[in-house]
Amino acid sequence: MSTETESVDLVDDATVKNVARAALCAALTGAFAYVSFPYPLSPAPVTLQVLGVFLAGLLLGPVWGGAAMVLYLTAGAVGAPVFAGGEAGIGSLVGPTAGYLWSYPLAAGVVGALVHGRSVGPLGAVGVPRLIGAMAVGVCVIYAVGVAGLMAVLGLSLPNAVLTGAVVFLPAEALKMAAAVGIVRSDRLTAA
Amino acid sequence: MLSYTPGSSLAHRLDPRTKLAAQIAFVVAAFAHTTPGGLAALTLLALGILASAHLSPYSAIYAYRFALPFLLVGPLIEGLTLGGFDLTRAFETGLASYRVLLILLVSAAYVRSTPVRESRAAIQWAVPGKPGAFLGMGTAFVFRLLPLLVADLKRAREAMNARLASERAVHERMALLAVTGVERALGRADGFSLALRARCFAWNPTLPALTFGRLDLPALALAAGLALSALY
Repeated sequence: MSTETESVDLVDDATVKNVARAALCAALTGAFAYVSFPYPLSPAPVTLQVLGVFLAGLLLGPVWGGAAMVLYLTAGAVGAPVFAGGEAGIGSLVGPTAGYLWSYPLAAGVVGALVHGRSVGPLGAVGVPRLIGAMAVGVCVIYAVGVAGLMAVLGLSLPNAVLTGAVVFLPAEALKMAAAVGIVRSDRLTAA
Repeated sequence: MLSYTPGSSLAHRLDPRTKLAAQIAFVVAAFAHTTPGGLAALTLLALGILASAHLSPYSAIYAYRFALPFLLVGPLIEGLTLGGFDLTRAFETGLASYRVLLILLVSAAYVRSTPVRESRAAIQWAVPGKPGAFLGMGTAFVFRLLPLLVADLKRAREAMNARLASERAVHERMALLAVTGVERALGRADGFSLALRARCFAWNPTLPALTFGRLDLPALALAAGLALSALY
């Protein structure tokens, strides 16, 4: 690629703040992939990745939240160990969990749009039903695209894909939504 | 865990764009030729690619061990029918699972042999303008910030365990841990953006110049051949 050295095009201050927050949100989603909780309904442990997707939409709004998730996928594709179990590489983006991963930018955008509308305001002003509704729609987006991914990549039929890829995990998603409401209602996050 | 390791293997000396093109062509070929014969040929190619990065197949498979249950469960559940076990359906899904395994192995070779700065330069070559600059700089930041945030969460978890957090409900523990994680991350974001502005953070920083070498020519030809093979 060509390198420009003649003039320096500085990034303006508002964008710097959003870029930094988007990068942190992407990295936090990656760090959440390492946190697993035992889950009685499935032998696979539950990670907090999806919580990172919710938070990107809630804290950054639809545009930067979606951008943060695109960043997450790009960094993972070129080798940052940010996917579940510390995986990385383009292979993960066309592997069994491909659908879930590709849905994250869309889900973060949907959650952000439903909670904030066009302009990103303080989360304290948003009612709990609206928060839960937005995240429920986000979960639907993630699992719909995830199940479609399982069907496309592994060639599973629809009922089998829904059973292995969605039904077992939905109770855990309810727990994560409860956690997300607890987070945005927390006194410790007034700065957000 | 799979990550970049410095070295002088063939894969290390290739241009990152060549390696990305070869991976994408491999994916296309694997999806186009999901037959026993096609996958046998691609297995040999995948093993060759791993050898070119001095990476053993076992450590590559171990790096992707969390994807393996999905790959195994797929054929099993697809073969199960009310009347017994349908071998042909299980075999078809098994081929689909196996092609994913091959793709994972090939991407392991890229991750092993490509440093962040080269990937970043390749991203900014592929996506021009400010979106490319955002993706490039953001990718570099994620690589740098991830270990910090993982360490933050680990510390928070240790502190929680020391205070009998295991007695609490799971969603309370998730919320406690995540609040701490988000709080630290937002604090880091504010400090980070201040530091970026103090250092003249620009849309056009100086990146390593990428050049195609003599080695890239056969590798690119291979990528083109794989991509074209999908058509026949």
